[in-house]
Amino acid sequence: MTSREAVLDTLRVNLAAVLARARVRVVASWRETSWVVGETVFPFLTMSAFVLVYRGLHAPRIYEAFVVLGGAMTAYWNNVLWSMASQFFWEKEQGQLQLYLITPVSRMSILLGMALGGMAMTTTRAVAILAGGTLLFHVPIPADRVLPALGLFALTLAAVYALGMILSSVFLLWGRSAWHTVTLFQEPVYLISGFYFPVRFLGAFAAGLAALLPITLGLDGIRQIFYGKAAHGFVPLPWIPPIEIALFALFLFLAHRALLLMETLGKREGRLTLRGG
Amino acid sequence: MRRFWDVARAAAWLGWQVEANWADPVLFIAYSFAKPLATTLILWFMVAVVSHGHATRDTFLFLFLGNTFFLYVSEVLVGLSWAIFRDREDFETLKYVYLAPIRMIPYLTGRALTKIATASLGAGVALLFGKFVLGLSILGSPEILIRLIGVVLLGLLGIVFLGFALAGAALVMARHSMNLNEGLTGAFYLLCGAVFPIEVLPAWARGVSLALPFTYWLELIRRLLTGHAYAAPLRSMGDGALVGVLALSTVFLGAAATAWFTWCERTARARGLIDWKTNY
Repeated sequence: MTSREAVLDTLRVNLAAVLARARVRVVASWRETSWVVGETVFPFLTMSAFVLVYRGLHAPRIYEAFVVLGGAMTAYWNNVLWSMASQFFWEKEQGQLQLYLITPVSRMSILLGMALGGMAMTTTRAVAILAGGTLLFHVPIPADRVLPALGLFALTLAAVYALGMILSSVFLLWGRSAWHTVTLFQEPVYLISGFYFPVRFLGAFAAGLAALLPITLGLDGIRQIFYGKAAHGFVPLPWIPPIEIALFALFLFLAHRALLLMETLGKREGRLTLRGG
Repeated sequence: MRRFWDVARAAAWLGWQVEANWADPVLFIAYSFAKPLATTLILWFMVAVVSHGHATRDTFLFLFLGNTFFLYVSEVLVGLSWAIFRDREDFETLKYVYLAPIRMIPYLTGRALTKIATASLGAGVALLFGKFVLGLSILGSPEILIRLIGVVLLGLLGIVFLGFALAGAALVMARHSMNLNEGLTGAFYLLCGAVFPIEVLPAWARGVSLALPFTYWLELIRRLLTGHAYAAPLRSMGDGALVGVLALSTVFLGAAATAWFTWCERTARARGLIDWKTNY
């Protein structure tokens, strides 16, 4: 086999791994009805409660729209935490991780497949939350600004899932603490990312730190696209797409490095499989 | 009765080990405080944002108290059904619990006590944070605290009964149905007006809200700790009437949950589901 053929073969195998891992996620997301209901209804109910908080406070309708957009984004963040960051931990518990490690594909391909499948799976949930919120609470979503918002949304997802790939490597070596640590990243991130209110109100310092999370920036930018100055944006809108691209590239690089490091460490310390007995 | 408490105590200790022995105390405490403090601050900012810095402390106080005490509902309801799934499928110990000369209700009571303890930790810290950091005027005379403990215990009894019902369902359900239990908790969060006055709900949902014991429980707690009524549809009811409704619904919940759990348990044993593995 020539070197060109070897490269093409490696590409083909890795692409097949990406598609296979993504396919599992997409098929599984529809196979279990209770998951579809649970993953759509649960965040929807929480989101509705926060919409009603604003309604109870007689806040302008636009604040309810902030919550609906934030509610849709929570679906992605939860997916990143529970199905990306902690996925290798679940796989280890089920004995699947060792199978990945003996296959001749890059671990990055497995993670990329997980991310793409996760995005597809979560988009159905997020659309349901968004549609339900829009129809039930009549929140204003300007239709003429949907396309630029979708563009920024795509950049945000790329950076958010790249962050999930880093977390996945870090979680690889954790035991039961992985589970609990995920919950530490849930509600506190809802708070600092401004899922239910404009992040700017956290103050410059806290909001600046929160802006290191791509989901914070993305949500801030999407709200600015839809509602302009009324969105109380934190980072100027033109800055957000280049920052998201830079974060995506940085996180992807770090994910690759972290994965290699954690795998080597895990092999050396014998922590890639569960110990019996 | 003594046997009941012996089993409950042992199960509570087991539950505590499962909950807490994975981490050092500092990380465990951070984990216990993170959720209640984060949701408290989310609500704080929501009120502050809308009122442009002039947040009415009274308005926030009502949201704060509902959100803080609702922690018991989410912890116990989700926790008890999770205990069944984890024991059955992750630790594979449920079958040994059934082999031991104990009954399930005392065992689950013990597991519920652990959840109540961890929820109390979170709720306690949130209340202290609210009083001393956010400067909320929470009443705290000894007489009020005694009445509060009584009301909280009465509500907790109802929550534990409902937890038994969900644990019963978990015995006959696959692990991946867990989302439905979490969804049910979300529905209670929405319908009992934990973070907003129930009068903003549509009429049909308000009807459902008034059928839930947690609505009366949270209203009672708010009245005790602030001295004011909150939910408009309940303003005509005195504290005694609210306690009466809560007590009656607790008795009803207790009877219904016990009957349901017994049926589920019998079904699970008959179908060989006690050592079921449904993870995939």
